[in-house]
Amino acid sequence: MGSILLVAEIQKGKLREASLELVSVARKIGEATGREVKSLVVGQGVSGIAEELAKKGGGEVFLADDAALANYSVDAYHAAAKAAIAAGSPEIVLLSNTPTGWDLAPRLAAALDAAFVSDCFDVEVAGAELVFLRRFFNGKLDARLRPVGLPIVATMQPGATAAFSGSADGKVTALAVSVGEGGTRFVETKVAEAKGVDLTKAEVIVSGGRSLGGPEKFQEVIKPLADALGGAMGASRPVVDAGWLPHEYQVGSSGQIVAPKLYIACGISGAIQHLVGMKGSNFVIAINKDPDAPIFEVANLGVVGDLFEVVPKLTEAVKAAKG
Amino acid sequence: MKIMVCIKQVPHQDARLDVRGDGTWIQDENIKFEINPYDQNALEAALQLKDAGGGEVVVASIGPERVTQSLRTALGMGADRAIHVKDAAADGSDALGVAKLLAALAKAESPDLIFTGFMSDDGNIAAVGPMLATLLGIPHTTTAVSLKKENGTVQVERELEGGALEVVDLKTPCLVTTQTGMNQVRYASLKGIMAAKKKPIDVKTVADLGLAGQVGAGAAKVRIEKLYTPPKGQGAEIVSGSADEVAGKLVGKIKELGLL
Ligand SMILES: Cc1cc2nc3c(=O)[nH]c(=O)nc-3n(C[C@H](O)[C@H](O)[C@H](O)COP(=O)(O)OP(=O)(O)OC[C@H]3O[C@@H](n4cnc5c(N)ncnc54)[C@H](O)[C@@H]3O)c2cc1C
Repeated sequence: MGSILLVAEIQKGKLREASLELVSVARKIGEATGREVKSLVVGQGVSGIAEELAKKGGGEVFLADDAALANYSVDAYHAAAKAAIAAGSPEIVLLSNTPTGWDLAPRLAAALDAAFVSDCFDVEVAGAELVFLRRFFNGKLDARLRPVGLPIVATMQPGATAAFSGSADGKVTALAVSVGEGGTRFVETKVAEAKGVDLTKAEVIVSGGRSLGGPEKFQEVIKPLADALGGAMGASRPVVDAGWLPHEYQVGSSGQIVAPKLYIACGISGAIQHLVGMKGSNFVIAINKDPDAPIFEVANLGVVGDLFEVVPKLTEAVKAAKG
Repeated sequence: MKIMVCIKQVPHQDARLDVRGDGTWIQDENIKFEINPYDQNALEAALQLKDAGGGEVVVASIGPERVTQSLRTALGMGADRAIHVKDAAADGSDALGVAKLLAALAKAESPDLIFTGFMSDDGNIAAVGPMLATLLGIPHTTTAVSLKKENGTVQVERELEGGALEVVDLKTPCLVTTQTGMNQVRYASLKGIMAAKKKPIDVKTVADLGLAGQVGAGAAKVRIEKLYTPPKGQGAEIVSGSADEVAGKLVGKIKELGLL
């Protein structure tokens, strides 16, 4: 029987937490189906990470360590993955739903003519069959997906599974990778510099979403409440995409990760990429006119209603309470 | 320069979503559709390149008759012509099936650059672009937020996490998937819409593309077993009443939290 291969990631020189989550998923499938777990570590000077993963449940860890792999490029990583697949004969390949996963996983799946499922939050094993669970429509609906046949390439949503915390002795096997020229070339990474607002330090954040409809509504509806509470204004991504507010106001996976004492989400659906940014909030109030909006699942208090009615009333009430 | 833009028609962001009787997709009768938001950015990126350097923009889409509307919108925005794979045999294709159909179109067109959206707003799978590039044997990158064209290469800034970007050079021909916010999408002007009426929409079937039996529900390697409203977990305590009452209750809570 073929194995399960997980593609580990290194972030800021460390083994990424999401990769240990993949270990959990791989071991779960492995135990239920009798498949062996194997891993791939790619980079330059990363043998220590491969050793670490081998001790943390990664099984046989293929190490693709080469100067040509120092920086991520889809071609170089694809070459490494192909070498690991040749060496490990996996039937199931697992990656994380991260920028590397977005780029690499569908490329691998097409090259292998595999069944592909992405951004899954869980997997069930029913006999020899696997059923993957994921969200559709930005979290408004869930789905059970059944891959037909093998191989399967799957990406798992970071944070959805507990990281494997046991220890299990694996081994590291060095892998020779011929990277070749490739059509993509890494140039550099840039980190956005924080400008005026630093939401990470705010105690209260009042956030608005796409439903605000324009920049002036942020000034008329959201800002007065934020001001009354002595807090900061935040936003979901479409607000920033539309240019209503600058990027530093964006809360979420591609924005700021915040942890205020109080987060008030106004007209925000609660897509996973937004939730990732605000889940550290101590208390969450959500105002949304859709009673099924996913935001209500993570909020402590919810108001099903029109934010244009509720928020101004709340602002008045806050001002009155302050006297 | 010839650019192919792959667009998908998806339920409008504000459409009410009800799961249909067989539990495998939503009821898509009587709801509003639009061009997938990510693909709108893809089309805009292509039109901007054309505005700057000339060339041709070809839009391609797969789907039923109603897709014609989205193709007309794209032509109204400035695309030169459209290809519509309109065939029930394509229904139920998985991402790989869609990529195979688009690859057949791309082989016939040989564009210098292909754009797709990073993902579609319905399935959120984010696979068609890279799969299409792989089938064509060309380089690709995902989540582009800016793009610069030089001789024989394009330089793309791709979005990572937490506001970080990665700059990558790609040799053309290549494929780029676009992230929302890459650009401000233009509207179709009235003049554009009038002009679009005269622009060609080339209709193709699965058999025309030599893919009979290789795409569609029967060939899909992934089946949606069940689509359902997520089970309610903990969830919020819902405060109800008039707007005044609700505001009063929320203020009470905010006081309790020691924030007033
Ligand atoms: C790679 C990637 C990264 C991303 N990064 C981020 C990120 O960092 N941050 C982020 O936020 N998103 C991010 N997104 C986008 C995310 O998937 C969602 O699209 C986005 O969060 C939705 O924003 P929204 O809730 O404002 O809009 P929508 O999802 O359109 O929701 C609008 C909500 O407003 C409600 N509403 C409408 N009118 C009213 C009214 N009058 N009163 C009350 N409620 C009303 C509706 O019921 C609905 O729930 C990312 C997506 C991807 C693919």
